[in-house]
Amino acid sequence: MRVEVVLRYIGMVMLFIASFMLLSAGIAYVSGMDSSFYPLLLSTLLTALLGAFPMIFVEKQAQITTKESFCIVVGSWLIACLVGTFPYLIWGGEFNFVNAWFESVSGFTTTGGTILTDIEILPRGIQFWRMASTWIGGMGVVMFALVILPSMGRNKMSLSNIELSTMAKDNYHYHSQFVVQILLVVYVGLTIFSTLLLKMAGMNWFDSLCHAMSACATSGFSTKNASIAYFNSPMIDTILIFTMATAGVHFGLIYATVTGKRNNIFRSEVSRWYFGMLLIGSLIIAVSIFSTDIYPTFTNAFRHAAFQFVSLVSTTGYATADTNTWTPLATIILIFGSLICASAGSTAGGIKVNRLILACKMIKARVRQQQHPNAVIRIRLDGAVQENDLLNSVSIFIVVYLLLVLAGTVFCTICGLDLTTSFTGSVACIGNVGPGFGELGSMDNYAAMPVAVKFMFSTLMLFGRLEIFGLIQLFLIKWWR
Amino acid sequence: MTGLQKRITIGFLSIVGLLFFSGMVSFWELSNLSSDTDNILKANKRNIELAKEMLDAAHAQNVAMIRVSVFADSSYDSLCRASIERLENTLAVAQNEALEKSFLDSLAIATTELKLQTDNFMTFGRTHLNDTIPDSHPDPVGAKWYNEKYEACYDKLTSAIKNYMTSTQSSLAPRAEQMKKNAYRAVTPVLISLLVMIAIVLMLFYFTHITCVKPVIRMNRGLGDYLSFKIPFTVRGELKDEMLELKEKIDALIAYSKQFR
Repeated sequence: MRVEVVLRYIGMVMLFIASFMLLSAGIAYVSGMDSSFYPLLLSTLLTALLGAFPMIFVEKQAQITTKESFCIVVGSWLIACLVGTFPYLIWGGEFNFVNAWFESVSGFTTTGGTILTDIEILPRGIQFWRMASTWIGGMGVVMFALVILPSMGRNKMSLSNIELSTMAKDNYHYHSQFVVQILLVVYVGLTIFSTLLLKMAGMNWFDSLCHAMSACATSGFSTKNASIAYFNSPMIDTILIFTMATAGVHFGLIYATVTGKRNNIFRSEVSRWYFGMLLIGSLIIAVSIFSTDIYPTFTNAFRHAAFQFVSLVSTTGYATADTNTWTPLATIILIFGSLICASAGSTAGGIKVNRLILACKMIKARVRQQQHPNAVIRIRLDGAVQENDLLNSVSIFIVVYLLLVLAGTVFCTICGLDLTTSFTGSVACIGNVGPGFGELGSMDNYAAMPVAVKFMFSTLMLFGRLEIFGLIQLFLIKWWR
Repeated sequence: MTGLQKRITIGFLSIVGLLFFSGMVSFWELSNLSSDTDNILKANKRNIELAKEMLDAAHAQNVAMIRVSVFADSSYDSLCRASIERLENTLAVAQNEALEKSFLDSLAIATTELKLQTDNFMTFGRTHLNDTIPDSHPDPVGAKWYNEKYEACYDKLTSAIKNYMTSTQSSLAPRAEQMKKNAYRAVTPVLISLLVMIAIVLMLFYFTHITCVKPVIRMNRGLGDYLSFKIPFTVRGELKDEMLELKEKIDALIAYSKQFR
């Protein structure tokens, strides 16, 4: 493996991040040279220098091996999270190293959990940097680096194979170089569209842009302490429900739908399951909380139920209500939503609907196989027969995912947290969701968590973002042939 | 400048630049910290000076007022007025210089009350006096006024001055906390710059090793094998810039020497 080549491309990602830090410094400058201007400018310089240095020695490469591309992707995530702490650390406030690392990892992995007890006192520059980090993370640091690399050609897909969910690759019916452009067009387009809608609904430009960036990245970072509950506007809630739900759909399908292609959202089996799950889950929660008189009208109950459920399933994590006060049935459904999450090929994390469908079909096939031992049973998804290798990998993924949730829960309980907080916190972090239940409810934050738990949650976020095996392979890179 | 030379020069210049930059940041932040510390100490000292001046003025005013009211000694009138003026002037200075003006509100009210009481007594309080009472004997009406009216105002004033002194002292705690944050902010950029510099030094070492040291070692080994065992001169790995030129020149030299064998 050529380490210098890996360093070069990680360096390009750093330069991309530095450009967003500079943009945040620009926001700080426009906002009357607030206290974040100098920290952001200094961070820009350091990150840019760190990124530009390998490019002095290493020229652009025509070919990158799979092993190298894997190291570029995983290395970029880790280094991005590290340099993302610079503005926080230099600015100070509530950010010590542990908090800054948590906030940065939470941003780049689009988890959206925060350690801040008072978000509103943050200067605009830092506010924007939080959103920028999450927006970059939403599409994947490396994906953006690929777009700005003019000469990579065939290498594009070898990188994105690792970045994207393995389930998502099969759903792209375009040339590999075109995939990156599709993702960018959908992502930027959705962000601009949401910004305009939120502005029209009554937010100011800054809040509109920040919330649109965060919603499209399915992150959940907000500029307000009370999250979306601060605005108390049904119109804003509706716009964000639309944005979050859309951001949880396979981006290739969104592109196909917008451009009028055949393989669109309406024909997709995964999308039908996804939207069906959102609708049924929201209805059950609404009935549950309405029947216990938490909300006076069913419309109001449905509004909050739909918002919370879409928010958790899409792994965004915005809140309009304190879900800790909801019924046990509503809580169970919300936790289920946090475990399954949205579709592959979106910015969401979690097990993903695609795997849930395949798992259900595998159970059904197993039952039929026992009834008809000689039958040849094929499992199909969106009309395509799924290979045994893929089905095995789905089963293994789900098992490892749940084992990691269990490990996280055990670790948290050892650190003194209660079972609800430990379990839902682990689910929320590995699924890149953000809020959990108990001490980590939708109106709470991670500030009170012990240091060890913050580190463990950050690691779970990285596991979730890199589809678990991405991070595991890093520790086994030496044996990779 | 040629390729290799250019790369290494730029690498070293980056490190020197970053070193200089982190030094400047450190100097700037520590200067700010020093300036903040100095300002806090100066403000504290000035606060004590002003409080002492006010207490002195209030004490002088009190002594003069006892002479005027209790002993009906009109020779202390001017001292009484001068003390009040001194007190007001010091208060005005404190109000101008104070960063936190809310501490001075109660002091200003107490001063105004004392001045009003004094002015009232000077204007209307001595109408009952006649020449029959000698200066050395207490005036019962004046003494009563002093005890009942003036002393309360005086106590209120001294208490307000003490409050002013202690309240600014107690405000030191948050300011010290702010200083602690400033100290943290002074150290963090430097620490981060140093970490980045260490990363860059490590990268420079690695790149120098793979672009200069390793090729030289390989060429040396290849040349040694050729000279000792007549194994054809080959160098493994990719060569760039001057190293590639050197290898080509060695190849040419070997080919040239073979012609004359």
